[in-house]
Amino acid sequence: MSRLTRWLTPSTVVRAHCDLPCGVYDPEQARIEAESCYKIIEKYQANSDATFRTRAIAIKEERAELVKHHLDVLWHDYFKPEHLEKVPKLHDMFWNATKQVSKVKASTDLADAKKLLEQIDEIDAAWKATGGAEKTRVVKQTA
Amino acid sequence: MRPAIEPGDWLLVDPRVRRWPAPGSVVVFREPDTDELAIKRVAAGPGERVSFAEGYLVLGEDEAWLTADADSAVTAELGFGDPRDSRNYGPVPLELLVGRAWFRYAPLARLGPLRRR
Repeated sequence: MSRLTRWLTPSTVVRAHCDLPCGVYDPEQARIEAESCYKIIEKYQANSDATFRTRAIAIKEERAELVKHHLDVLWHDYFKPEHLEKVPKLHDMFWNATKQVSKVKASTDLADAKKLLEQIDEIDAAWKATGGAEKTRVVKQTA
Repeated sequence: MRPAIEPGDWLLVDPRVRRWPAPGSVVVFREPDTDELAIKRVAAGPGERVSFAEGYLVLGEDEAWLTADADSAVTAELGFGDPRDSRNYGPVPLELLVGRAWFRYAPLARLGPLRRR
């Protein structure tokens, strides 16, 4: 490299970032964490030990936070404006489900956790209806 | 920032700017959420309105709304997600402005000033 070229070469690099999503999305991720909330409420109700109950609530809060995270990623990154034609209620579905997560966080009522599972199943149907399974998952090797 | 700026372009940046340059100008700044040096175009300047589907936002006295030239369709073709700009991190305050990119000096085939849009 000549001295001139070296002198002209920029010393600072600036970037015009884009998101770099892995492109794998599946409501199952949210459902598994929501199932944890459901099961932990069952265990909470079957046990009267104070320490056990305190731990159960802490774990439920942590799992619920993960449900919210997975739903948010699905909503923001997988679903695109064109999907609204196929699923006009999409935004309401996510709005209601994430609100329900907050409810499950504060609740020890099994019915609240069950309702959340049903809402995630509705989102799962929307994901399937928009070709999510084919577009985003890596095909499993069958034995 | 395609097609205005391609990866590897060598640019001159004027660091003397004390205010946000006029909308359409290309600026270098620090991303509010990562502090990394980034380059985008001023879409709206201080006091201006940024419209959304159901309303608008009025920018503060020292804020600008910075956007990428490329839209989601272009970045998707390149294998990326949506461009990261004010639509992710909101208005950018003046203290994060580094300078105005105004001239490309390499590659020589595309030598010349960066046009405002």
